[in-house]
Amino acid sequence: MGDYKKMWQDLNMDIEKHDILCAALPEQFGDIYLTQKNRPDAMNYFNYVVAEIHGARIMELEKYKKEGGSVVGTFCVFVPDEVILATKAIGVGLCSGSQFWIEDGEKVLPRNICPLVKAFAGAKIGLTCPYFQSCDMIVGETTCDAKKKAWEIMDEYMPVHVMELPQMKREKNIKEWEDEIKIFINRMEELTGNKVTVESLKKGIDVCNRKRRALKRLYDLRKNIPSPISGLDALLVSQVAFSDDPERFIEKTEELCDELEERVKELKPNGKKRIMVTGTPMALPNWKLHSIVEGLNAEIVVEETCTGTRYFENEVSIEGDTIDELVRNMAERYMDINCACFTPNEGRTEDIVKYAEEYNIDGVIYYNLSFCHTYAIEYEKIEKVLKEKDIPLLKIETDYSEEDTGQIKTRVEAFLEMI
Amino acid sequence: MAKHYILFPNYSQGLKLESLLKQKDIKYVISPTPRQLSSSCGISIMYNKEDENAIKNIIIGSSVKINGFFTID
Repeated sequence: MGDYKKMWQDLNMDIEKHDILCAALPEQFGDIYLTQKNRPDAMNYFNYVVAEIHGARIMELEKYKKEGGSVVGTFCVFVPDEVILATKAIGVGLCSGSQFWIEDGEKVLPRNICPLVKAFAGAKIGLTCPYFQSCDMIVGETTCDAKKKAWEIMDEYMPVHVMELPQMKREKNIKEWEDEIKIFINRMEELTGNKVTVESLKKGIDVCNRKRRALKRLYDLRKNIPSPISGLDALLVSQVAFSDDPERFIEKTEELCDELEERVKELKPNGKKRIMVTGTPMALPNWKLHSIVEGLNAEIVVEETCTGTRYFENEVSIEGDTIDELVRNMAERYMDINCACFTPNEGRTEDIVKYAEEYNIDGVIYYNLSFCHTYAIEYEKIEKVLKEKDIPLLKIETDYSEEDTGQIKTRVEAFLEMI
Repeated sequence: MAKHYILFPNYSQGLKLESLLKQKDIKYVISPTPRQLSSSCGISIMYNKEDENAIKNIIIGSSVKINGFFTID
């Protein structure tokens, strides 16, 4: 428990408004997370990160900046962290997962766009996210119309660098993404004053690959029946991955996996329905769907989302002796992410079918943030394929508010009874 | 059910005590500090009442600084 008011003041935050958020977190986290029974001891680290999410981690960022380092904020799994690390900068995921920020977001954005975009805009303009306030620059991308246009508004408040993500996966598009990565390298070099070398880029790739491997190990453990960790806890680990120090995160996640490996030796089937969540990301502290589902007789064992498998699947090859070759490797890996912004996006359907088998899934919940059109449209394709495979599917379209919690619970309950 | 917390002047003191509790195999949970106890954000440690004396002894024999033991009913 530290007194961070001085630090927040220095970051030009709206202390009074931010305090409303601080006041809500202990109870929200306590009710959802600390009431779970038999949690792994190693989750204490992740409790710590949440409790100190606007405190200790921000202190680390501020200390790094005082020593001459740079901090950049990101929102999307397409932004190559390897480059950020290669220029000795710190990359952090930005605030975008709470209803708290929506009201301020709607002051500058239309109401009928996705809550994630409204939330990040609100967090910045309301001066209630210390991560935004710590950042020297934010890195956007063009994965959807709402984000694409929101960067123009954000640019009025702070430096923004936008990466143009191609929307198809042809060879020419992979080359375009290579170009974008090179432009990003230049921008990061300008910002930090640090040159990207083959060596520094390889080091960045290595850290990111090890982080992916740690998350993959965690997810593989969830394939056990029953899973040795709740979906809620696994989601928290994924969410923390976006803002934590990568080396420390890897160490703590491996520690958690060691404990889970011991657990699986003792566990016996619990009869809970095994659920896959697929769809849109869940940024911290969005635990809404997981807490509803796991409050019933079910466990979420995999998330085919950007705060799940899409973040860690596939590694960047370290083969190559030039920056060009390494950039090509990165472009290939990133363009292999199956995001609904691509047309077509058949890889995602294949992933869902593959995971359904690998994780022994009883049913799939299609989680769609309101007004996220690409995912909403792609539902049709997924529905058809899952029907053919006889895999039960439920679509939940929702935002961050609590108004529809009861209704979602009733629908999930009925779904679980049916499967 | 009553819950028991230890509060700290800063997070590094909390982490210091955490590593001592780990060494002694005493169960604990790191938790955000409840609003009823303090308006400062950050960590506290939740513990089981039966371990209270053992924890107090650990703290006495260490350099860990705490703000105190608290209970919420």
